[in-house]
Amino acid sequence: MDFDFSDQQYLFRETFKTFLEEKHDLKKHAALLEGDGFDADLWQGLADLGLFSMLVPEKYGGLGLSFVDMALVFEELGKVLIGSPLAETIAATDMIVRHGSAAQQASLLPLLAAGKLRIAIAIIEPESGFGEQNIQTRATSTGNGWRLNGHKIMVPHAKGADLIMVAARIGSTQTLGLMLVDAQRAGQARHEHATLDPACRFYALSFDNVTVHAEAVLGGASPHPANLARLMDVSSAVAALQLTGIASKVLDISVAYAAQRIQFGKPIGSFQAIKHKCADMAVAIDASRSAAYYCAWAIAEDAPDRAKAVSIAKSFCGDTARLVCNEGIQIHGGMGFTWELGIHWYLRRAKVLEFSHGDAAFHRERVMAATLAELDEQE
Amino acid sequence: MDFTYSAENLRFRDELRQWLRDNLPQGWGVSVHEPKDEDERARFRLDWERQLFDGGWSGLDWPKQYGGRGATLIEQAIFAEEMARAGAPEGLNIIGRNLVGPTLMRHGTVAQRQRYLPKILSTKEVWCQGFSEPNAGSDLAAIGCRADRQDDHFIVNGQKVWTSFAQYSQWCILLVRTDRTLPKHQGISFLLVDMQSPGVTVRPLKQISGESEFNETFFEDVRVPAENIVGELNGGWKIAQTTLAAERGPGDAQARQIRFKQELDRLIATAAKLKRGSAAAIEDPVLRQKIAKSIVEIEIMRLSCLRSLSKLLKGEAPGPAASMLKLYWSHAAQGLYETALETLGPLAPLTDGDALAQADGRFQLGFLQSRAFTIYSGSSEIQRNIIAERMLGLPK
Repeated sequence: MDFDFSDQQYLFRETFKTFLEEKHDLKKHAALLEGDGFDADLWQGLADLGLFSMLVPEKYGGLGLSFVDMALVFEELGKVLIGSPLAETIAATDMIVRHGSAAQQASLLPLLAAGKLRIAIAIIEPESGFGEQNIQTRATSTGNGWRLNGHKIMVPHAKGADLIMVAARIGSTQTLGLMLVDAQRAGQARHEHATLDPACRFYALSFDNVTVHAEAVLGGASPHPANLARLMDVSSAVAALQLTGIASKVLDISVAYAAQRIQFGKPIGSFQAIKHKCADMAVAIDASRSAAYYCAWAIAEDAPDRAKAVSIAKSFCGDTARLVCNEGIQIHGGMGFTWELGIHWYLRRAKVLEFSHGDAAFHRERVMAATLAELDEQE
Repeated sequence: MDFTYSAENLRFRDELRQWLRDNLPQGWGVSVHEPKDEDERARFRLDWERQLFDGGWSGLDWPKQYGGRGATLIEQAIFAEEMARAGAPEGLNIIGRNLVGPTLMRHGTVAQRQRYLPKILSTKEVWCQGFSEPNAGSDLAAIGCRADRQDDHFIVNGQKVWTSFAQYSQWCILLVRTDRTLPKHQGISFLLVDMQSPGVTVRPLKQISGESEFNETFFEDVRVPAENIVGELNGGWKIAQTTLAAERGPGDAQARQIRFKQELDRLIATAAKLKRGSAAAIEDPVLRQKIAKSIVEIEIMRLSCLRSLSKLLKGEAPGPAASMLKLYWSHAAQGLYETALETLGPLAPLTDGDALAQADGRFQLGFLQSRAFTIYSGSSEIQRNIIAERMLGLPK
């Protein structure tokens, strides 16, 4: 047993950290609110560093690494409030590596590894809640393919994506599964949501008799609900890691501010009222790391407790980011409330991620159910 | 990163399971529980600890050279899991094994290690910790208990307080002032004191929980041989930091996590049986949220212990990071007991002895005991100062 990263994994993190700090700051972040919000330069730089090839097996031009190797990298990506359908594309890559058909792997993985494919993920519907049980989007057979109908919301960076990975009830059995839909196919409409974090570029999508070819179901012929379950777990894990990165960044900024901001003739960081807040933030972040890193391992190994590990991480890391962003702004006082200082960008992203892929209450209920099932099994 | 169990690990687990089956009393946890009388319970725990030693399970994490098992991290984790699973009792010599052992291994002389360590491991000698005083709590370096050198002895005079298990202890690690002219941190020494020495008086203190685990301990002209000093004269503060780091560290927390996991399992079992209106408490969505929050927090405590232990095994020095773990678990565990009482609803106030009390009043007792978690081994306020100043670098 070893609950630590390897020297190589730490080195990987340093590489990405150095690159991201050089390429990305809050000024650039704000500039991305204009235009299509896609930072092609950053995307290409990350591709050159091998980000998109990490999970791809070597025979498809990838590095053949595991989700554990990605954990620290996602934390760094969280710190810079990474946009683009980056997390989604990597989550989709994991799905294609694990569950794609041979044909899907051969055609998609080399492009993904090279950073030449962007994939958006569409799961949530206006009335679905967080769970998959109430998904209504349907794919009906046309004999030689599928016809897709339904409405999706909260799809980040749908515009500019090459493919949309859509959760739907497929075929006459209405089995939940995933379909890979070409974003250019006719019958799709999208409009951009107004959200707390405009940098996320969320879209609502509708599918109106979109014809999709027969092999579009992830895995080839027949859909499998386990695929959707894994996608939701992977997406939650990625969010938990990013939330941990955001929280750790906000703590760093807040500590630096508290150490130099003078009031009553002293740095405010010398006052216990501020010190103790910072200590509580640090403790919550450290605990978040334990949860997020373990869930990365559970995802990589597809461990029997994968779902529980993910839900522990997503609920706790979401709560932590909430605490840390709120307190971080409080420590900054009036400055923290300004648009100019930019700390609100962390608050906004953390809030959006908190309510993406299941909020804390949703995941706590999953923890409860998993625990009861474990205890039943023991008896 | 690796959490998989090898065939060898599984053999270790099976061996331990079998041993627990063979050695725990028949009907343990179902019809047979720990004695309720405190002294009887202490004896019971002492016997259990000696049984563990005889079975080769004491000091699992101690190096082999000191008679321990030199267990790997995964074996320690399996041990913690299995003890929780079996609802195995606690030991009594916790201070000896978890605090005195690591302190002597790091700072003791060869003679001291040979003299004391084997008897800690076998629980032939139980230890207590004489650090806090009535006027030196959070400001521990302000201790006034003094030791004056007289020929080849120290003469100790003063009072200690919150000395847990003093009434059952043969030995005490004692912080004393050996030079009053030096700045307060620099005039402290670390002594090993025989509790049977003339002049030592132990008076139990009744705690919030009604129990008397801890005591006030008085020292009146107690003669302590000069060779019983650990480290150098006036060098005791640094040694106390090792003891405190062990007290706050992952080894200690891992053992506690077992208890909290057992409490959680007990809480869930109680909530499944307990009717609140038309349905069992466990069906109530609000309670499920709260119980799940505790499950999450106690599981993260386990993971954080493993993360810290992994770093220590790679040679990282124990340090202020221990304060993060202690601050985390103490509040998480208090939350667990609040949730436990909320789960019981109208039955929450009922304590042991009442016919309707749930789980023998275990949660009420635990709730009262848990108030101490954020006070002992450094209050939360002290831990926060340590984290903010020594880890985050905020100004004093």
